[in-house]
Amino acid sequence: MRDPFTVLGVAEDAGDTEIRRRYLALVRDFPPDRAPDRFREYRAAYDALSDERKRLETKLLHTNAAALSRLSAAALHAASPGSARATKRTVAALLNEGIMRTVTD
Amino acid sequence: MNKPLRCAPAPSVPIGIQIARAGEALRQERFKEAIELFKPLIRQDPRPEWKASLADAYRGRARAMAAKKMFKEAAMVLENTIAPDGTVRDPRLYLTCLIRDGQQPKAAAYLLRCFGGDGVLPATERAALEDLAASLLVAVPQLPEASRAAPSEPSRWRELAAASREALAGWINGASAEEMDRQLNRISLRSAFRPLRLLLKSLTSIPRDDERTRHLLETIHPGSPFYPFRQAVEATVLGERVLDAYAWEQLTPAQQAFVAETRGLPVAASQFLARLSEAAQGGPAVLFGYLTKQPDLPRAEVRNACLNLLPQIPDRLPQFEKSFGPLSDLERHRVKALAAEARNDWEVAERSWRAAAAAIADGGTDRQAMLSQGVIYRHLAHLAIMHPEIEGEDIFGDPVIFYLERCYTVDPEHIPTLLELIGRYRKELQLKDWHRLVDEAVQRFPDDSQVLLQATESAVARKAYKMAAGFARRLLKINSINPGVRRQMIELQVAHARKQMRAKRPDLAAKELSAAAEWERPDAPSALLRIARGLVSLQTGAKEQAEVWLREGVELAGGGVAGWFQAQLEAELMNATGGDAGWLRQELVRARETPPTEESVMTIVSAVGRPEAVENKRVVAGLLLGLRAWLLQAASFNWSEAEFQALAETLARFDAFDLLQEYARAARRRDPANPAWRFYDIVARTKGNADRLSMAETDDLFEMAEAAARREDFHAAKRIERFLDGNGRVSAGRGRAAVALPDTIDDDEMAALFMAMMDEMPKGSADSLRGLVNELGRDATVAQMVEKLRSSPIGPGMPEPLLRLLSEAMVAKAMGGGRSRHGGKTRRSQLFDA
Repeated sequence: MRDPFTVLGVAEDAGDTEIRRRYLALVRDFPPDRAPDRFREYRAAYDALSDERKRLETKLLHTNAAALSRLSAAALHAASPGSARATKRTVAALLNEGIMRTVTD
Repeated sequence: MNKPLRCAPAPSVPIGIQIARAGEALRQERFKEAIELFKPLIRQDPRPEWKASLADAYRGRARAMAAKKMFKEAAMVLENTIAPDGTVRDPRLYLTCLIRDGQQPKAAAYLLRCFGGDGVLPATERAALEDLAASLLVAVPQLPEASRAAPSEPSRWRELAAASREALAGWINGASAEEMDRQLNRISLRSAFRPLRLLLKSLTSIPRDDERTRHLLETIHPGSPFYPFRQAVEATVLGERVLDAYAWEQLTPAQQAFVAETRGLPVAASQFLARLSEAAQGGPAVLFGYLTKQPDLPRAEVRNACLNLLPQIPDRLPQFEKSFGPLSDLERHRVKALAAEARNDWEVAERSWRAAAAAIADGGTDRQAMLSQGVIYRHLAHLAIMHPEIEGEDIFGDPVIFYLERCYTVDPEHIPTLLELIGRYRKELQLKDWHRLVDEAVQRFPDDSQVLLQATESAVARKAYKMAAGFARRLLKINSINPGVRRQMIELQVAHARKQMRAKRPDLAAKELSAAAEWERPDAPSALLRIARGLVSLQTGAKEQAEVWLREGVELAGGGVAGWFQAQLEAELMNATGGDAGWLRQELVRARETPPTEESVMTIVSAVGRPEAVENKRVVAGLLLGLRAWLLQAASFNWSEAEFQALAETLARFDAFDLLQEYARAARRRDPANPAWRFYDIVARTKGNADRLSMAETDDLFEMAEAAARREDFHAAKRIERFLDGNGRVSAGRGRAAVALPDTIDDDEMAALFMAMMDEMPKGSADSLRGLVNELGRDATVAQMVEKLRSSPIGPGMPEPLLRLLSEAMVAKAMGGGRSRHGGKTRRSQLFDA
């Protein structure tokens, strides 16, 4: 199981409103008919976080692999973010990826 | 080398035939042939419709090639269709072919040319291609040259493209935030280059406002060519929240490179992820060992990850404490509880969870602490439902209620717990607690529809009509339809009216029913209310109105026998069968001339299942007896098991065992293999009394119960067990003491009993008797049988020698002695002698 906070991309102290808003935004981008797996993942994460009691339940009652998910995130973010710039080549590759995806879809 | 065309145009072929052939080839999607046929025609006479057909043929040919991934060739074929304004027949296909062939600069130049003015591209096509054009114009190494005859629109596009490219280059080269702002302001937010502006703005905004950034980025939708860029930027700027090992793996190599470059991630980070994944595959112990040896990782996160592994490897607790220091009380009990759950040790799990809740309580009484305790107690209540081992040392009564009560104490605002506790009180028949808690709930949550529904039901159960009506009205304000509450209120008032009618006060009953009518929705009229009003009106002398209501009610109740049966039943319940109500019976008799249908029979089953009918068993039994012949016609219907079940329960409940037997036998004839029919056949034969079971039937039922349990049909297994226990619903003897044989048994009865027992001695019993004889010897087995029979229902009525004789005969039969006719007679005579 992934850390539901990471799946939805919200901070651990996020409130009900913010979590719901984020969930709805994700579902709008990945509706169940187009991305059923992602939708299921978002839905499960939202179910685990949708209110204060559920968040406590997730924290207390589940031996969560989410902790591992958080650990790997911490490892990834050990460096200071946003200080460097990407290379021209990387950006071009990224743009080309989007272009190719558009014409392939 | 090209293959010769199947239908090459001969110069002598008339033009009409050539056109027909070309058109046919196009229709049949033989595009190459169509092209070759149209070309000479157009050379002779360049008619617009032929040119259009030729372009269609080219497009078809290009599509076929693109489907075979021959993108270069497909693009070349489409270039044959270039119009004077520079557009091709299918711009999107053309661009796809160019891009997939790696000719991005050519695609960009084409698009720049296409946006050269109104009408070059249809509006919908243009809108669909704008995002692609913007991304291409940013991505290509060089901006395409301006067309000589460039109208104003391409130059605007060029300007925006140039500004976007400069801004992107500025960011790559490390331009300052101010410089970036200046550059980004040149990109119109209303242009197709907006996504790039948002992306670069998100990357350079300082101080960063994550929420605003997210809002901005979310406007770049998944179909946009800038979407992969958006994902990479999100991972970069919102990384702490959205990026973990899994999310990292989901990124494409280009996105990973972007994130690594912009976040300055060390190579070790991605290597760590790979090693972490390997260790995780080795199991919790391996992973635990790996994590504790990672000094460079954030300590708190490593501790948290290891703590969450402990329930799977509780033996590593000392190692954990050595590495990270002692666990808190809560953590220790939580780990123990989760570990116990993992090994299904529910007693330890319960003890540990309770200790964890106590540790939280010791730590403080703030909201979080109270809610956390509530979470644990609710969890314990749910565990107690599933695992009977959870019963607590200090719990007297239902452990589920005990834990729900505790949960309610620490978290009284949690409505689901409150409703669960109310439901549990009700189920366990703790009626005082049920009503008390409902009263509390409705005061605390006066506008909650679930609570109001409970309050209505509680008031109905207390016969507090006014209170129930008040709750129901409040509930209907929240949900004006709510058919359940409306029906409940109508039933409640009809019940009152019945009482008034039985007390010979039809005037009061009429008042009651007028009030009940306010609960009726015009689009959902109540059959029960119409019938009741009709019956009351008959008594008050309003005969015409009575007949109208009764006929309406009967129709609503299903019409025919089903409808008139319900009217007759209600008349009986109201004690309103005399005088003018006689015609109801006549209507029912007349309706019986129509043969039954499955639906009409099931409607009757449903009607007699109502509590007021069940409470008046004698009345219903009498009515069913009147319908016997009519119901018999339905015995041979192809009833489903569920329908049959409902029917059989009803027939047994009202002692209609002869009907039940007919139904069961008909069902067995249709489907001899289904044990359900056999069960009800036995129920019918024994008149629902397990004490009348023969040994063979008993064994059969045990086998049926076991088979049902094996196929996980626990309802059937329970039903059979309940019947065998003598307290099944099918049993007419429910609640009665076990009936032994009569005190005095005459010889014939005893002989018949003896013969029946011998005849029906099943194979299973014979086997077990043989086993006993082999184990204990013949005499000891006979002695044991005597004891068994003595304690059976027939025992008290049998003298000792008779019991012994019977036992000996059974043992003899089991041991293969059989029973010849003569042998039977011999034993019979022995029996009489005895």
